[in-house]
Amino acid sequence: MGLHKPIYHPMNDCGDVVVCINSREIALRGEEWRRRAYFHHTGYPGGASWTLAWELHNKDPTMIIKKAVYKAMQGNLQRRHTMERLFIYPGEKVPDDVLQNVSNQIRQLRPVPTRLDHIPEEEVQNFPKVMDYPEDYVLK
Amino acid sequence: MASIIRRGVSFMKNSYISSSARTIVTTKQLNIKELREQKDGSKLVIEGVTLPSLRAQLLVRAQNTNPSLVPSEGNIEKKPCYMCALGLDVKHTDVLILSQFVRSDGCMLPRRITKLCRRQQKKIGTMVTMAQKAGLMINLTPGNCKKDPKKRRDYKKFNTYFDEKTIFMKRIPDQSDKFKR
Ligand SMILES: [Zn+2]
Repeated sequence: MGLHKPIYHPMNDCGDVVVCINSREIALRGEEWRRRAYFHHTGYPGGASWTLAWELHNKDPTMIIKKAVYKAMQGNLQRRHTMERLFIYPGEKVPDDVLQNVSNQIRQLRPVPTRLDHIPEEEVQNFPKVMDYPEDYVLK
Repeated sequence: MASIIRRGVSFMKNSYISSSARTIVTTKQLNIKELREQKDGSKLVIEGVTLPSLRAQLLVRAQNTNPSLVPSEGNIEKKPCYMCALGLDVKHTDVLILSQFVRSDGCMLPRRITKLCRRQQKKIGTMVTMAQKAGLMINLTPGNCKKDPKKRRDYKKFNTYFDEKTIFMKRIPDQSDKFKR
């Protein structure tokens, strides 16, 4: 963060932060919601617990993004301080003091797909067809 | 009291349906696309009409768009099906293509109707399921499931996307492959 600035240094606070919105609407691949488990240990004997991704997302919709970013960073002393510069919000509501300093936007990697019932009826009918019914097919 | 009323209502419904619905079995029912009923005076004429398909004008075929890709007629047994010949990279988000292979109740059409090869039928059938699970084809989804993902339970209610590479992950190796290193 602040890598483009000439005064950048890993231990220097350039004032740059990342704001992440709509974390409740994240999409996981395939069966990840019920296959992915998050491990936690209280430190006491028998204190291990595994929480599935959908259970964790029900409890805290920001936690999955937070853990993903935390895991992707190097495990050095700077990690906890860099994590302080990431703001995650479950919805679209962002506090004004954060919002007024936003200067740029990172494009989303995966565009949100269009639903069939949101496409107008005329466009669906006039779309080029690939499959045609055989002669003796009774439409259902 | 309520049970008596319910029973009465169901009885009335049954009698109504059995009287109104007429089941007429004509001989060659399969060769028909539409049954038409006409009534002139006391005569009731029921005729089966083979209608031209609405999709005929919009149909895209590889031999029309790019004839060089289609092999000559010498090897008929190796002729690819129309989906392989087109060579489209279909994803599970392409609902406009996938909805053509689906009945109005959301079921995938069988192979004798789609006329696809085995591999394409498997691929498109899986992608239809993916689109339905991701909630992209809400109007073409079987009625016994909650169509909108937001109304589903537990892990099903969150947004999901799929990778098309996972369709043929379980590849059964050829018998000749086991001698290869
Ligand atoms: Zn094929």
